[in-house]
Amino acid sequence: MTELLRVSQLSKIYGDNKVVDSMTFELVEKTSTALIGPNGAGKTTALSMMAGLVTPTEGTVLLKEEENKDSRASIGFLPQYPKFFPWLTAIEFTEMAARLSGVDSRIVQSEAQKTLEFVGLGDAMKKRIGTFSGGMKQRLGLAQAVVHKPKLLLLDEPVSALDPVGRRQVMNLLKELQQQTTILYSTHILNDAEEMTDQLLFLRKGELVENGSLSSIKEKYANPRILIEFESVEEAARFLSISTWTLASKNNFVSIDPSHQQIGMTEVLAALHADSFRIRKVEWQTANLEEIFMKVVMSS
Amino acid sequence: MKNTGVLVQKEFREHSRNFKLYWIPIVFIILGIVEPVTNHYLPQIMESVGNLPEGSDFMWPQFQGTDIFVSLMGQYQLIGILIIILAFMGSISGERKSGTATLLYVRPMSFVSYFFSKWIVINAIVLGSLWAGFLAASYYIRILFGPVAFGDILKFVGTYSLWIVFAVTVVLTLSASLSTGAAAGLSILILFVFQVLDSVIGAFWTVSPWKLSIYATYPLQGDSVPTGYWMSLTLTVVLIVLLFILGAYMSKRNASKTTV
Repeated sequence: MTELLRVSQLSKIYGDNKVVDSMTFELVEKTSTALIGPNGAGKTTALSMMAGLVTPTEGTVLLKEEENKDSRASIGFLPQYPKFFPWLTAIEFTEMAARLSGVDSRIVQSEAQKTLEFVGLGDAMKKRIGTFSGGMKQRLGLAQAVVHKPKLLLLDEPVSALDPVGRRQVMNLLKELQQQTTILYSTHILNDAEEMTDQLLFLRKGELVENGSLSSIKEKYANPRILIEFESVEEAARFLSISTWTLASKNNFVSIDPSHQQIGMTEVLAALHADSFRIRKVEWQTANLEEIFMKVVMSS
Repeated sequence: MKNTGVLVQKEFREHSRNFKLYWIPIVFIILGIVEPVTNHYLPQIMESVGNLPEGSDFMWPQFQGTDIFVSLMGQYQLIGILIIILAFMGSISGERKSGTATLLYVRPMSFVSYFFSKWIVINAIVLGSLWAGFLAASYYIRILFGPVAFGDILKFVGTYSLWIVFAVTVVLTLSASLSTGAAAGLSILILFVFQVLDSVIGAFWTVSPWKLSIYATYPLQGDSVPTGYWMSLTLTVVLIVLLFILGAYMSKRNASKTTV
């Protein structure tokens, strides 16, 4: 568990507008962290500051062991909509990116080729980028971000512009990269975040409102419920009249909050069975990441 | 500066693939050929297509080869500089606007190298075009008007080239500092309007980059070195250096304005 990146009190103020407000967090080596927040929360600005593109108004971004070096050499950055020089071929662009990032000139060519093959552009590497489709550009974007084997990979909405097939392919590439490098990516597609995340950062109006592991955040916001669907409203009413638990009901549904009462699924099933209630379904519900997202973002 | 080579290669590829490397020299060469040819055949051209009334007789001026060089320079002052402004006004601002600069700026790249790579490649294209144009012109001038001393041509083109480098630096520095439109507008102001102002009220001073194009013609007119010639050269070099420093600084300062 070596710390790789320490961001402290990072702020960006444009006029009166605090786009990023005193963001503080650390990233551990070889973990993936999702930066989650609604549109306009400051995700892109925060990533741009970490990439060295935007100068922070206040605060620091410190990449470990790189204190005397240009930290941009150890960072790979993929903007949300990467723009390329259309008159270059994929291999020319990737080689240029590698050279600029300080890859040894003797291995630039082979590294660029390997990277393009890795992202699935092996057959298209001699084509002009101007002829590329959106999905191909996104993969090329990934290639230029990883060709110099950065310690930290910053990805701004890496899959949100892609169709489901492209999204799946890029997610699989990211999962492979996860083994070798530290990834910080912003997203508002929460299924993706759930799939490859060790740490979650929730950003709301520029403020970091939640920071923790996926499981700890889930636990905090999960809000479990046992939901019973009765066959009729009368049956639900009968259950309400007998039960001693704190309940909430609507039509033929009854929900039980098990957290403050010592109730589990077993107790509920036993009670239903004892008085032969006619039921359709009993379900243990926890909030998924989307509901947690709504909860975190909406609460003020 | 270790990345300069990579960036210079990128600039050359860019200008070769958007054909600026080819069409700019072609335009300069065409201007260089057309100027002596039309001037030489002017009486015949006017006779056949000029719609002159029957029996009209003009005294056509007797041009010397040196006059043609000066009038060709007049063409480059207008069309040549306009080409420089239009072709290169977006060199840096355009990369910022389109977002193609983003993937360069996030790399460990020095903005001095970045600015230098553009400056050297644009100057190479423009000066190459200018020299090719004057070379083509001197061939036709030699045939049609007789030889002009090579040393005089060299002095003339040399002085004029410094003015062109100044023009390129102005355009590039403005492109680094402002948006493409504003860069174009201010370039026109500095390179055309100031030129006119300098010739209207410039009698009060002798040292100015805008006087270089006039001073450049002194060897062709058989004059002695004009007052303020060397000081103007020195001032222009100093201004080019200062503009270069400003341009590199402004590229860095405006880096965060690139489209992410």
